[in-house]
Amino acid sequence: MDSSTVRIILLIIHFLFLIYAFTVVVSYIFLAVISAIETSEYLKRNSFVNYSEILSSTVSPSISIIAPAYNESLNIIENVRSLLSSHYVNYDVIIVNDGSKDDSLEKLIEAYDLIEINYLINNQVKTKPLRRGVFKSTNPAFEKLIVVDKQNGGKADALNCGLNISKSDYVACIDVDCLLLEDALQKMIKPFLEVTDIKVIASGGVIRIANSCIIKEGKLMDVNLPSKFIEIAQILEYLRSFLLGRMAWSRLNGLLVISGAFGVFDKKIALEVGGYNTNTVGEDMEIIVRMRRYMEEKEEKYKVAYIPDPLCWTEAPDNYKILISQRNRWTRGTIEVLKLHRKIGFNPKYKLLGMLSYPYWFFYERLAPIIEVIGILYFLILIALQNVKWDYAFAFFLMAYLFSVTFTIIAIFSEELSFHQYKKKGTGFRLILVTLLEPFLLHPFILYAAIRGNIDYYFNKKLKWGEMTRKGLSKTETNK
Amino acid sequence: MIDLQYYTEYFWELPILIKVVWLISGVLFVVILALIAYLKFLRSHLRENEKTLKKYQKEYEENLINYLYAGDNENEISEAQRVLINKMKICVADKFKRKILISVMSKLINDISGEMAHSIQKFYFETGLVNYALYKLKGRKWDVIASGIKELTQFEVKEAHNEIIKYVKHPNLEVRNEAQLYLVSLFQFKGLVFLDKLKTSLSEWAQIQLLEILQKFDNQEIPNIRPWLQSKNNSVVQFSLKLVKIYNQFDVRDILLELLSHENKEIRVDTIQVLNYFQDTECKHFLKTKFNTSSEEEQIEFFRLLEITADTDDEVFILENVAHTNFKIKLAALKILKAINLEIFNEVKLETTDLQVVEIVKFIEAN
Repeated sequence: MDSSTVRIILLIIHFLFLIYAFTVVVSYIFLAVISAIETSEYLKRNSFVNYSEILSSTVSPSISIIAPAYNESLNIIENVRSLLSSHYVNYDVIIVNDGSKDDSLEKLIEAYDLIEINYLINNQVKTKPLRRGVFKSTNPAFEKLIVVDKQNGGKADALNCGLNISKSDYVACIDVDCLLLEDALQKMIKPFLEVTDIKVIASGGVIRIANSCIIKEGKLMDVNLPSKFIEIAQILEYLRSFLLGRMAWSRLNGLLVISGAFGVFDKKIALEVGGYNTNTVGEDMEIIVRMRRYMEEKEEKYKVAYIPDPLCWTEAPDNYKILISQRNRWTRGTIEVLKLHRKIGFNPKYKLLGMLSYPYWFFYERLAPIIEVIGILYFLILIALQNVKWDYAFAFFLMAYLFSVTFTIIAIFSEELSFHQYKKKGTGFRLILVTLLEPFLLHPFILYAAIRGNIDYYFNKKLKWGEMTRKGLSKTETNK
Repeated sequence: MIDLQYYTEYFWELPILIKVVWLISGVLFVVILALIAYLKFLRSHLRENEKTLKKYQKEYEENLINYLYAGDNENEISEAQRVLINKMKICVADKFKRKILISVMSKLINDISGEMAHSIQKFYFETGLVNYALYKLKGRKWDVIASGIKELTQFEVKEAHNEIIKYVKHPNLEVRNEAQLYLVSLFQFKGLVFLDKLKTSLSEWAQIQLLEILQKFDNQEIPNIRPWLQSKNNSVVQFSLKLVKIYNQFDVRDILLELLSHENKEIRVDTIQVLNYFQDTECKHFLKTKFNTSSEEEQIEFFRLLEITADTDDEVFILENVAHTNFKIKLAALKILKAINLEIFNEVKLETTDLQVVEIVKFIEAN
């Protein structure tokens, strides 16, 4: 190969990078615009809704809240109390104690007057066997509570056990440590009930970060912006992802993921597709892709709905070690799901799912960290070869940085103009400050976690969930 | 000055792509500065708005309470009330204040009833708020129309009937829902007349809302629902089936039996549920004959019905389905068998090799 051929190849590579970056930017702008339209319409639509009628209705559909718990002894009592405080009338709470090694079950038995009952389980999805059995409360105040004690099988297995136990039409799958607002169920069930010409198979909710918020007896009393940079930076990430990204995908009916922390499913369809996949760490994304695939193959009109209201609050990692472990798992989950359902990709048979959602996730979620690292390595080589035009490079870096800041500020605007949760004085300044620093102080860790995720996926197959050390939401009130 | 000239010359000598990059960066920089400034303004404005809102809410609440207690005659407005009405009329002219006043009144009217609610309605008319709501009906935006209808529903403005009935067929779902809720909230069962000609589907959400409103009324005499049960609009049929169940309209049994052959599966399932509620035994024979061609949902519902109505005549049919592939049907069949013929139940228990049946039998015997 002569030098001119090499030059041409390099030029092509440069332009491929440029095209990739350009399409990322264009897609972000496109999603932001669609999201703004959808949020505005959602807010308009729901300003007329009277949720009180469905609360007392005897014909409202039944919902089971399924919450898997593993070694959650520290906060389990408070968390269950929060789940039991929903204003919806026709619901029950199924806590699946997934082989906890701590005293979670004993605590629950004592706090909620539980006794073992004879419960016939329709094992539609295979799960690990029960350990001590099924428990219900003798106290009428807790009649909605069912506790299942089973052998450890992981989150997906515990959720499947909940699906088998549930006798309701819909299931709300939630992380036990999440805090649900009292009106969460009626808001989440609405999309299923308001459609007439299409079937809603699942609805996802926004996840908000509860670190530093004041929570008393399982209820959110006051919203505060956390003090640590890493926590605020995650708030910005969540705003971008939920209020700009997923909201837009919902409008396009191309949503591929509903957060495992809180989502409501049509139980019949969830069971028809075989429940959660226990062989992936991305079970929340996998079940949605499988349900969508199933509906596409059945050629039935369907939708995955999305609710932007801040209904579910959770504790986010407050140190880089746990954050990296979490993002590593998310990356492995994405790789696993996309690989498992590669048949969908670029397949016109799957319409929007195959031709838009899957390719987007593949190029801009799955490949993004890899392309970014290749870019960095290539840049380092150019530096070593003293072949960098620094003024040109600086111009590109500056543009990328300014675009990222602009996009985050738009996400903040979206929040301010819709739900305005962070009301306190000085919060805006701190959000802007973190917005300016985030690309330098958080993004490198996120990139590192994604690359580690890729490496672990290919070279460390045994790695599963990893530990999430929780401080507990009930403790957050003391933080202030 | 020299620097500026240097940079200008540098810029014009750049390749076009880099020039574009610098221009975009410049634009983004200005946009960011503008957004930050606007964010500061917006947050302050929202905070101020909230303070003002609370202040006016408190003030209007007090005024409304004073108004309610200043009345001395049910039908006439007292002098003190007139003063308050005139005072509030000034606020009504301002859009922001009007919105707050309406929200305060809406909350209040939900908490009170009888004479006081009547008094609030009078206030609504006297302050001219009703005219703003009626004006909204002429709006071009669907959300303006829907909010107008909602307001007129809350303050029970029956005079708007002729205007609102036009919106029952509005292309926007929200407007349609609000119009339907208006009719039922204000005219009770008579308001359901819109079902006669309804072409669009009535969502499950709308059905729940309508049923809840209807159940609040003292007058529970429902009109003739036969035509709705025979409607070509499937959602109207489903809604009517709910009415049949809630209001015990067993006299429409003949239509219910016809609906068992309806082309829509959901309607057939709902019909079996209603017949189950009435513990109807005469439908059993028909359902048995078409059992094998029915959907699984219908089969499950039929077995639920049999759990209540089965007798020894059903034994053969029940036995046939003890080995059904559906868990719910299997469970129901075994439960029924135990109830109608313990001997045969025990025989099945001894002979079965199906592990699921063994498990179900154990469960049934333990309960």
